[in-house]
Amino acid sequence: MSIVAFGNWLTSTALSQLIQRTHGAIADIQVVHILCLATLFALALNLSLRIAGRGLAAEPLASLAGRFVPAMWICLGLLFVTGALLIIAEPHRTVGNPIFYVKMILLLVAIALTLWLASVARSEPEKRAALHVAAAWLYMLVWTGVIVAGRYIAYR
Amino acid sequence: MDAGFLDWLQSTGLAVAISEEWFPFVESLHVITMAIVAGTIFVVDTRLIGLTSTRLPFSYVAERMLPWTWGAFVCSAVTGTLLFIANATGYFDNTPFRMKMLLLVLAGLNMLYFQRVTFRTVSAWDAGRPPVTARLAGTISLILWCGVIAFARWIGFTATG
Repeated sequence: MSIVAFGNWLTSTALSQLIQRTHGAIADIQVVHILCLATLFALALNLSLRIAGRGLAAEPLASLAGRFVPAMWICLGLLFVTGALLIIAEPHRTVGNPIFYVKMILLLVAIALTLWLASVARSEPEKRAALHVAAAWLYMLVWTGVIVAGRYIAYR
Repeated sequence: MDAGFLDWLQSTGLAVAISEEWFPFVESLHVITMAIVAGTIFVVDTRLIGLTSTRLPFSYVAERMLPWTWGAFVCSAVTGTLLFIANATGYFDNTPFRMKMLLLVLAGLNMLYFQRVTFRTVSAWDAGRPPVTARLAGTISLILWCGVIAFARWIGFTATG
């Protein structure tokens, strides 16, 4: 099945039709998507700052990661659900769009970095290695890329 | 506001350049800075409500987060102004845009009241559970900022021009 045919099939599903026909549904799903992204971005920023020895430095890294990383997974879960609904509602805006795949690749990198930084926080909580600090800033750069690519999807 | 002024604003070279070429880039910067503003405010507000970071004093969480909030807010205001001038007449008449601005003012007033009144007694509750007035300020702030983001997203679906 080609991407175009897949997009056509998704558009014809009952869920896609329901979202398309419900006034304001796409905008409201995007609102939840952006709220989750804002929260996730701020939590990622705090984790990165703490790894760099800044931000909420009075709290041990392992404790901060123990609080923030589970909240980040919840945000990611909601981002997946709302993102999937947006793809189902408007498949031609995403599945045929190269920028969408850039966003997905960056998202996979961000998830891999979340897993790695969380494990660093657990296993070597107070060791501030240059590699970890560099990875923390790369982490923020990748999340920034996810947001930029997400916005550019609308313009291609 | 004078329609002639808005027309002039969106016909300036800067506004035309943003409208024709730079809009997605400026909008991306606006979304990133808004994410930092709202996200760091959520961290402070949930501490104020007593839900998170309860082992850290409130004043410490606020002191560490608010420089990021204000820095991002300034960038957000600049990028927001640039987006506005690109379609000044369309945005000025747009109801979600007006609601967003109203909620921003209300969020500012809520913060001002909290700073001038509730925060004066912070030494009494800094390390523990904040009083009802503080928790109320945090809850109102959370609701207002969620509203700011919601109406901001609705602008893109409703603005003309």
